[in-house]
Amino acid sequence: MASAATDTATSVKPTPALKDELDIVIPTIRNLDFLEMWRPFFQPYHLIIVQDGDPTKNINVPDGFDYELYNRNDINKILGPKASCISFKDSACRCFGYMVSKKKYIYTIDDDCFVANDPSGKPINALEQHIKNLLSPSTPFFFNTLYDPYADGADFVRGYPFSLREGIPTAVSHGLWLNIPDYDAPTQLVKPLERNKRYVDAVLTIPKGTLFPMCGMNLAFDRDLIGPAMYFGLMGDGQPIGRYDDMWAGWCVKVICDHLGLGVKTGLPYIWHSKASNPFVNLRKEYKGIFWQEEIIPFFQTAVLPKDCTTVQKCYIELSKQVKEKLGKVDPYFDKLADAMVTWIDAWDELNSTSGGAKLPNSRSK
Amino acid sequence: MASAATDTVSARPTPALKDELDIVIPTIRNLDFLEMWRPFFQPYHLIIVQDGDPTKIIKVPSGFDYELYNRNDINKILGPKASCISFKDSACRCFGYMVSKKKYIYTIDDDCFVANDPSGKPINALEQHIKNLLSPSTPFFFNTLYDPYADGADFVRGYPFSLREGIPTAVSHGLWLNIPDYDAPTQLVKPLERNKRYVDAVLTIPKGTLFPMCGMNLAFDRDLIGPAMYFGLMGDGQPIGRYDDMWAGWCVKVICDHLGLGVKTGLPYIWHSKASNPFVNLRKEYKGIFWQEEIIPFFQTAVLPKDCTTVQKCYIELSKQVKEKLGKVDPYFDKLADAMVTWIDAWDELNSSSGAARLPNGRSK
Repeated sequence: MASAATDTATSVKPTPALKDELDIVIPTIRNLDFLEMWRPFFQPYHLIIVQDGDPTKNINVPDGFDYELYNRNDINKILGPKASCISFKDSACRCFGYMVSKKKYIYTIDDDCFVANDPSGKPINALEQHIKNLLSPSTPFFFNTLYDPYADGADFVRGYPFSLREGIPTAVSHGLWLNIPDYDAPTQLVKPLERNKRYVDAVLTIPKGTLFPMCGMNLAFDRDLIGPAMYFGLMGDGQPIGRYDDMWAGWCVKVICDHLGLGVKTGLPYIWHSKASNPFVNLRKEYKGIFWQEEIIPFFQTAVLPKDCTTVQKCYIELSKQVKEKLGKVDPYFDKLADAMVTWIDAWDELNSTSGGAKLPNSRSK
Repeated sequence: MASAATDTVSARPTPALKDELDIVIPTIRNLDFLEMWRPFFQPYHLIIVQDGDPTKIIKVPSGFDYELYNRNDINKILGPKASCISFKDSACRCFGYMVSKKKYIYTIDDDCFVANDPSGKPINALEQHIKNLLSPSTPFFFNTLYDPYADGADFVRGYPFSLREGIPTAVSHGLWLNIPDYDAPTQLVKPLERNKRYVDAVLTIPKGTLFPMCGMNLAFDRDLIGPAMYFGLMGDGQPIGRYDDMWAGWCVKVICDHLGLGVKTGLPYIWHSKASNPFVNLRKEYKGIFWQEEIIPFFQTAVLPKDCTTVQKCYIELSKQVKEKLGKVDPYFDKLADAMVTWIDAWDELNSSSGAARLPNGRSK
């Protein structure tokens, strides 16, 4: 990212808006009032609303937004029996939105997330930062101590091998949250008043071989590069676990990204997370996960994908086999999950085949 | 790090560790910079390593408790083993690590000053380094809120509970505002770039990931990792410079990963005031630019056998692998491998628990 010797602070290339290349996927069960605050930033973009819960309820979308909305009836109609892989009564259902999108990029956000201000008081355009993150390379093979080397006013530091300075394509941009932090239930019970007040002005690539807890509240990704791996699992109604949807997707995604040479970034942008979920409810949902994750993490840390897994789908199917084989013994849930992972890929391929598979009937779009 | 439900600004004070930490400063010019650091450094013992002409008198500002070693002292103390200590290069600082008797080392360059945080408050870099060293590292899983032991932060949802104890921290790598630590090509292309970005984070560098370790603002636990902090053969009579801290950092990270020790980077910041001459730097770094393309894969694939259970054993083993695999890149690496062994010999001799030779030094105060 060499610039001319007269390096000024304001010679910033504008970030492309990508208005026709990015969909915003929002799961909701309540309302979309939060969109009013996001209007200046979101209105140019197409929204995909995934309505969870009671399909007869009417979710009002604020005027002026271009959107398509899917409730459970739509999901069942579009996917038929394959709808079994989409969670019900859990925000994990959002991944249906990823599947039906026709765009290259997805940004997903929760309906209790608002515009945050940076330390100077300026409202943060989270979408713009995510786009910056996705459009610049990742550097997972060697840690840069000044964090994002492609950021303005930064670069690779002394000792960073030159052959690694091109970086690799970025598949995921994981944003963070001010105010209510994304803690698990035990931590919420112990520290109910803790608020994240620390604005960390950095974007960094998560190194190869390192897993992380991916939060779906403020997340963007390149659907072409990694979309099929963004399955948010079986959660909610009829399932023994909740609040591990984005975690599960994140672990699968990172293993696959590491295998395929794709990058995952975390850090900026921040949004303002307003709603603290009930820790007692959360504990009920997470309970099994607290124990299971002790088995799940070593599974992902040691997962090896064969060389012939050259596409995301192949990687994902292979992972599902390993899940069945190695996690199936932990609990029958993982058998079901492994099957659902395959169903997801089948559904993804059917809806996204280049032969122009079924265009989606939806009278609720605008 | 559970606190009571009434979570207030209840920050536990950081221990000063005045008798457990030495500050090692290499210098060839003067120590004027110490005046600005006086409020923070005066309680501590300094080890000054005077590079270059030993007949020059380096004045230490009054009020500091210090020992000072010039080249004559190094030669007298180490005898033939002095060959492993660089001359005319700040790499000579590692002699200070070797002769220290403390548990912790903080090393800083003489063109590094006190920086201010975004609120304008002067940063006590030493205090932050101590915080970093005294709290665990978490290299096995990335915490998206960075340092989970920082006030107002914690491990996030999805972080396995069995990994929340962390492991001991061996190294705290601080950063720099103003003049960034760029290599010569980058300095030539962007001579005006200044690091203005204060990133309020400390994070553990994950296991299996290497990094460029800068020696300008660095602290470490001497007991845990000291023998691996050899800064190599640089400067006079050597074909390379400005790769001393880099070399140490790659060795240190491989050994830390093997032994289960943590390396942190991030806060604290210091203010780096002096931009070194990029043309001079290019001359020094020139071979390194090519060599690092071989060196990095070497370190990335280095495996230490299970019976390497101490830092010294790991380091000697690494030196063998350097000789075997990098020796073919250039004869320099043969010499370096030998120097690595000499370093360990000297370290063990000076630091043996039988209380070997107390160091003669007429210049301490």
